[in-house]
Amino acid sequence: MAQKIKFGEGEIKIPEINFNKIGRLIFLALAVVLLMGSFYTVGANENGVLTRFGKYSTTTMPGLHFKIPLIDAVEKVKVDYLYTEAFGFRTLKSGVKTKYSTRNYEIESWMLTGDLKIAEVRWVVQYKIKDAANYLFNIKNVRNTIRDVSEATMRIMIGDRSFNEVIKSERSAVSAGARVQMQAILDSYNAGISIQMVQLQGVVPPVTVSDSFNEVNRAKQEQETALNEAKQEYNKIIYNIEGEAERIINEARGYAIDRVNTAKGDVASFEKVLKEYKKAPQITKDRMYLEMMDEVFSRIPNKVLVSSELENFLPMLNVNGGSK
Amino acid sequence: MKKTIFPIIFILFFLILSSGLYVVNEKEQAVIIQFGKPVGNTIKYAGLHFKLPLIQTVLKFDRRILEWDGAANEIPTKDNKYIFIDAFARWKIIDPLQFYKAAKNEMLAQSRLDDIIDGAVRDEITNRTMNEIIRSTEREMQTTEEEDDDNLTSETSNQSLIRGARLDIIKSIKGKVVGKLSELGLGIELVDIQLKRINYNKQVQSKLFNRMISEQNMIAEKYRGQGQGKKQEIMGMQIQKSKEVRSQAYLESEIIKGEADAEAVRIYANAYNKSPQFYNFKKSLETYRNTLDSTTKIIMSTDGKYFKYLTQ
Repeated sequence: MAQKIKFGEGEIKIPEINFNKIGRLIFLALAVVLLMGSFYTVGANENGVLTRFGKYSTTTMPGLHFKIPLIDAVEKVKVDYLYTEAFGFRTLKSGVKTKYSTRNYEIESWMLTGDLKIAEVRWVVQYKIKDAANYLFNIKNVRNTIRDVSEATMRIMIGDRSFNEVIKSERSAVSAGARVQMQAILDSYNAGISIQMVQLQGVVPPVTVSDSFNEVNRAKQEQETALNEAKQEYNKIIYNIEGEAERIINEARGYAIDRVNTAKGDVASFEKVLKEYKKAPQITKDRMYLEMMDEVFSRIPNKVLVSSELENFLPMLNVNGGSK
Repeated sequence: MKKTIFPIIFILFFLILSSGLYVVNEKEQAVIIQFGKPVGNTIKYAGLHFKLPLIQTVLKFDRRILEWDGAANEIPTKDNKYIFIDAFARWKIIDPLQFYKAAKNEMLAQSRLDDIIDGAVRDEITNRTMNEIIRSTEREMQTTEEEDDDNLTSETSNQSLIRGARLDIIKSIKGKVVGKLSELGLGIELVDIQLKRINYNKQVQSKLFNRMISEQNMIAEKYRGQGQGKKQEIMGMQIQKSKEVRSQAYLESEIIKGEADAEAVRIYANAYNKSPQFYNFKKSLETYRNTLDSTTKIIMSTDGKYFKYLTQ
């Protein structure tokens, strides 16, 4: 019937029949919408928070769920997601080589230490939503609250430690303390947030004074260098001198052996000769004397013999002639 | 006509009735306004509620914890240091009726809070010293590096006398604000208040930086000086050591030589004592052999033993 009319018979009949048709269509559409609206899925790392007439009813786990259309509403919250908040810097581009910007965040990062100096502290807070309903219903701006609380607690931690401690030894104590205190404050708000980690990215002297800190490091290096140089010089000279000392002592030992051996040799030859000499003293004496004279006289070219029989004779000779 | 009018009336009635229904969600609370005046109790629980249609309207307020973040204020401390204090607070509307009467809306409430909190912070800070504000415990701090223990120790002992009071200060500010709020009856509850940032003003900051720089320069010079001093010390040690080693070697070598000489003397004496005349004779011959050479001129008398047979 309806199809025929649609081809157009009379204009009067159209509104009545159209009304009927549209009503049916609307009803059908409504049914589809209601059916569609009765189911919802909660993703793998999500929780669904179900409210009935605005009142919290239940929190649903990942999967397909039923709800009453139009009356129940679902808000999905990423409960397993690790949220990160950076303080004192912002990540410009994350990736294998993450780029950071630290400029103009001094207002966040500069803080007074316990000995009234200024340190630049950059840190990261990682948190998860531990209770989806609390997270949704208890605090108006959870992210801002986390940031505010984190800045306040970090300053309490830094303020109770000296500049040197903050920069060196107390870093882990600072981040551990900040985590505990942040958690305590957020729990007092019933924020439904679990702080997973507070990690100090960098605790350094502010840029304005960083040169002087580098200067100290350089000075330390110089000190080390001076010390090494001195030790090197020391070793070089002392080892040399120790060798020299060894040489002197060894030389003395050599001298000693030489001296004793020479003496022993001399003595041995003397004793040998003496033994023979004693057998015929006069003959040996004469022989030795003559042998000596023989050797000596044969060596000397100028010899003058003066007979003992000449009396009052003054021998004349050119004293210098012989040498030339 | 009667047939059509009946459903229309029914629909109209239904519409009016349903306009009396309203939903308050978990984030909200509501007050019913009748002829411009709030009536009845506040609706604090989420769910479906009913009001008189047409006559009453619903005014909703946030039930959650709300932010307050004031501007940083420059405040002098008790020890006359000018610092910027940036506090934040969290608060909520606990009595919407009262809140509506006294503060009207969140915006106006924020400016009321500005006055109250800024005042409380200022009162507290001006009564506290810089160290009390920054420190939170009496924990002893190590202000110098482990290696240098001499020149800055006075500062350390000075620091350790200070009792930090940051947490007390926060508690006290909280107390003052809570007191003021209940006095004013704003229907507001203070959840928390914290000091977010504490900074020196620019002039003090630049002075502080200069101080930090000069301190670092001092430390740097100390390291350099220590390095040079140590170098000199090692050089001195080197000279001492080399003299020591050398003289020790001399001493040992002389002893060794002396002993050898003595030994030699003993050996010679022992042997030659057996026949001193022969020794004299033999040694003399050796001496003649060694000393008389080709440059010697010799004049001899035939009288001598040697020419005994020549003059016969």
